[in-house]
Amino acid sequence: MRVGLSWEPTGADVGAAWDWIAAEAAQADGLGFDSVWISESRDGAASCPSPAVFLTYLARRTKNVHLRARRLVTHANPVRIAEEVAVLDVFSRGRAGLALTAAGAQQVAAARVHETLDFVTAAWATDEFRYRGEFIRFPTHTPDDAPPGPSTPTTRSRYVPQWERGPVTPDFLAITPKPFASMPPTSVEIADDETLEWAARNGVSPLVAAETPTSSAVERLERYRSIADSCGRRRAEVEPVLERYIGIDGEADAVALGGSCADLVEQIRDIALTSAVSHLVWRRRSPRDGDLYRFAAEVQLLLQA
Amino acid sequence: MQFWTGAMGITKMRAMPSSLADGYDVFVQDAVTAESLGFDAYGAPEHHFTYDGFLPFPLEALAAAAAVTTKIRLVTGAMLQTLYDPIDAAEHAATLDVLSGGRVVLGLGMGYRPLEFDGIGTAKRTRGARLRESISILGAATSQDTFSHAGDNYRYDSVALHPTPVSRPIEMWFCGGTSETAAQRAGRAGLPYWLANSPYERTKEIVEEYRRAGREAGHPEETLRVAAFKDVFIGDTVEQAETLRGIMIDAFYAEHILGYGYLVDDKGQPVYDASEDHPMYRRFVDSLYCGTLQQVKDELHRYDDLGVEAVFLPSIQRELIASQIIPEFK
Repeated sequence: MRVGLSWEPTGADVGAAWDWIAAEAAQADGLGFDSVWISESRDGAASCPSPAVFLTYLARRTKNVHLRARRLVTHANPVRIAEEVAVLDVFSRGRAGLALTAAGAQQVAAARVHETLDFVTAAWATDEFRYRGEFIRFPTHTPDDAPPGPSTPTTRSRYVPQWERGPVTPDFLAITPKPFASMPPTSVEIADDETLEWAARNGVSPLVAAETPTSSAVERLERYRSIADSCGRRRAEVEPVLERYIGIDGEADAVALGGSCADLVEQIRDIALTSAVSHLVWRRRSPRDGDLYRFAAEVQLLLQA
Repeated sequence: MQFWTGAMGITKMRAMPSSLADGYDVFVQDAVTAESLGFDAYGAPEHHFTYDGFLPFPLEALAAAAAVTTKIRLVTGAMLQTLYDPIDAAEHAATLDVLSGGRVVLGLGMGYRPLEFDGIGTAKRTRGARLRESISILGAATSQDTFSHAGDNYRYDSVALHPTPVSRPIEMWFCGGTSETAAQRAGRAGLPYWLANSPYERTKEIVEEYRRAGREAGHPEETLRVAAFKDVFIGDTVEQAETLRGIMIDAFYAEHILGYGYLVDDKGQPVYDASEDHPMYRRFVDSLYCGTLQQVKDELHRYDDLGVEAVFLPSIQRELIASQIIPEFK
């Protein structure tokens, strides 16, 4: 099982909060954690509205961990989401990833989240393309009779270098640069049933956020797996992600795992057995949640055996 | 006078094929080198949908540079502000400003390539007005606890920017074109003005027009600040410097300047099919100054005497510039 960290920075001192995140990310990198996640948020002085900028900074302070940006679709142009994760991926030589926040948390239609992920992955996988969706038109002059979703040119024409093409924007454009990896990992929060079903049917990795009670999280991931299995999706094609609060030597509650390191190993293994989770993300509220070294030495290593 | 430097594009150049990831590594290492050599700022530009993978998000690249430097300022040159929502841009800039300890400088351009507007989904037609309005919004967003704005193109009601940047406001420069019209716009708005590469005599005319417009609009002289891109090529002889310039033109500049509508004719209309002997292209080539070390020093002294506060120099010959030129201006 892969193990990562995410943070919930609070307080009025953004410098101190972000120094804590950067220091823990660097420590996690050395201890063998697999990922760090920065969420787009605007709910406090220490919130981070630009995960890609933060993660690209961390890319040069780390060597190993995956760098996952959790993005809203409400503020960002989908073209820019594709670009910024690709740039992060090149700067980190293939360690970038993207997760989209649940539609309900953004007060948007679930279809908009699905369409954004469809667009971004098409942008990474395709050279010149266009996109006609309910929410996205790329380029803007894509006609109403274009095929839905991504489409590529179907007729051959004489190649003209881009700088000699003049003022008319082509019908198909390539979003560049491309990521370092063929396809950076992507996931979507499955907080609503529509997204859960869409993700399961389409081989999109599910993510359950820290605020969801553990019992509900496990139930949703089981439903996801059941639908995916019924559609013939292979388990190896996705990476179910579960984010949890964890307190080493602390109390377990509805959203938090707690107890001794041995207790945590048991709890996490039980969850993985029933939900097929393959990536656990420890959402950190403060350094008091527990020592990263202890978790790496006494929990993480024992999850695999 | 300050000396700024940075990358031309962080691209895969046809003349020098290489890995883009290696190019990104070089970009970061060059930031460290520029800081150690005594440059004042390090920059990154922006373009979209180019075949060569041109960097689309300068603030993101500068975040990588911020992680390995401590003093050098981080400047966008130019960030195509008209392709961003102003608050999104302010958030990205504030994020980098916090991460870098207050080292962000925004050079904000309006863009000129139609495919960028059509791809991102903003109107090219309104770019000039939107750039000026955006700069006003960015200034308010990065300096006030909450602000509202009701303009022709953008409206915000009681917005608070999180995080609060270290620099309040974040320093901004208007990179809205190097013409009399652009100079008048920058001057009337009292915005610090960053000129594109131009021959000295042309630069002088534009700077004088900018200051005249600024004074007439009632802006104090000290607020009418000027920076300039100034590509210089140094050789033992002028011919040797011109050879070096020719290599850079062939490798990078020719296609980016001749294509995409960068050049404008005397009616202000973009030119897409210019030949290499087009007068506007010749003027651009002439703006890439070639000379011996002493001639380059003399040229830069003319900019200093003109009151140019900062020059953005190219990425090549940095060590020579740092050891032989910068000390003379400090």
